[in-house]
Amino acid sequence: MKVFVFIALAFSLFLGSCSNEPSLQKFFVENAEKKDFIALDISSSILNIDEAKLSVEQKAALTSFDKMNIIAFKSTPKNQATYEAEKLKINGILKDEAYQQLIKVGSGKDGASVSFVGTDDNIKEFIFYANRKENGFAVVRVTGDKMNPTNVMTLLTVLQKSKINLDQLKPLEGLMK
Amino acid sequence: MKSTIHEYKKNNFKSMSKKLILVIALVITTNTFFGQTVFDKFDNQDDITAIMVNKKMFELMGKIDSKDKDAKELANLVKKLDNLRVFVTANDKKGDEMKAATDKYLKTANLDELMRINEKGKSVKIYVKSGASDSQVKELLMFIEGSGKEETVLMSLTGNFDLDELSALTEKMNLPGRAELEKAGKGKK
Repeated sequence: MKVFVFIALAFSLFLGSCSNEPSLQKFFVENAEKKDFIALDISSSILNIDEAKLSVEQKAALTSFDKMNIIAFKSTPKNQATYEAEKLKINGILKDEAYQQLIKVGSGKDGASVSFVGTDDNIKEFIFYANRKENGFAVVRVTGDKMNPTNVMTLLTVLQKSKINLDQLKPLEGLMK
Repeated sequence: MKSTIHEYKKNNFKSMSKKLILVIALVITTNTFFGQTVFDKFDNQDDITAIMVNKKMFELMGKIDSKDKDAKELANLVKKLDNLRVFVTANDKKGDEMKAATDKYLKTANLDELMRINEKGKSVKIYVKSGASDSQVKELLMFIEGSGKEETVLMSLTGNFDLDELSALTEKMNLPGRAELEKAGKGKK
């Protein structure tokens, strides 16, 4: 019986700590199925890289990356109110201290930013966020384990050589039009 | 009875003013904590393009481990940088606002004029806040006045860096006004 209570307690603590986590994850889950939203999960297979040809460093860089989640909102003349509301939500989430902003570019009508979660040598997540009134907005989360600046640079050079398999991005085409 | 009411009001006032002080203190500390500059109000405005690069970005860039010599030099410099803010506008009214804010800032902050260039109807002014030695710079402020025809640009870069190193960086980053900065770096030598 006592063990039972203990487990329940531990579990509730665990859940409690989860709810304190940055709520971008929650935003993704809550809106994935909604109208006007497009959600995408992309695995590293999109890179279409022949691992045999990679150096040890490049392999290590590649394995530090896990996956990419994208959620996009397509704005139309009819859903401007929702667009503004959802945009505000994201702005609010990204203001949280957990998201350390790196770069921000933009004017009042459009904008883009890059933030990250974690520490310099152990980056857990990169967040790319872009919005434009006519198109909508998109949030891209790149998650991984122990990503670091050197890994990012290494991976970028790998990306230049890779034949990216764009089929996985097809659902986003509508957004660009 | 009257006196108790009076007393109550007095206490209320006391706690109110305490709260007010607390709020003000909080606002001030959070503002300095986030390293906000006076120009951040130009962010998120229509007709103004804002570019903000935060200290964390420079820190991360400085950590990139590279064998390339140029990249290493760059990494060494970016470690010394704190914040970069660039605001660009083609709108006259916003340009005037930016000019007013810059003038106001120059009056309060301890900046020296480094150089002033007038060419083709646009005026470029560069100010610096010197650090420990002459070529060490704590803040670099550049204001390009478009005067209706061209874009007005306000750029502020903080950190603790050397002017000579900086011209090398601006060359690579393709920032506005880099030709002027190059001259500035050479003039100091």
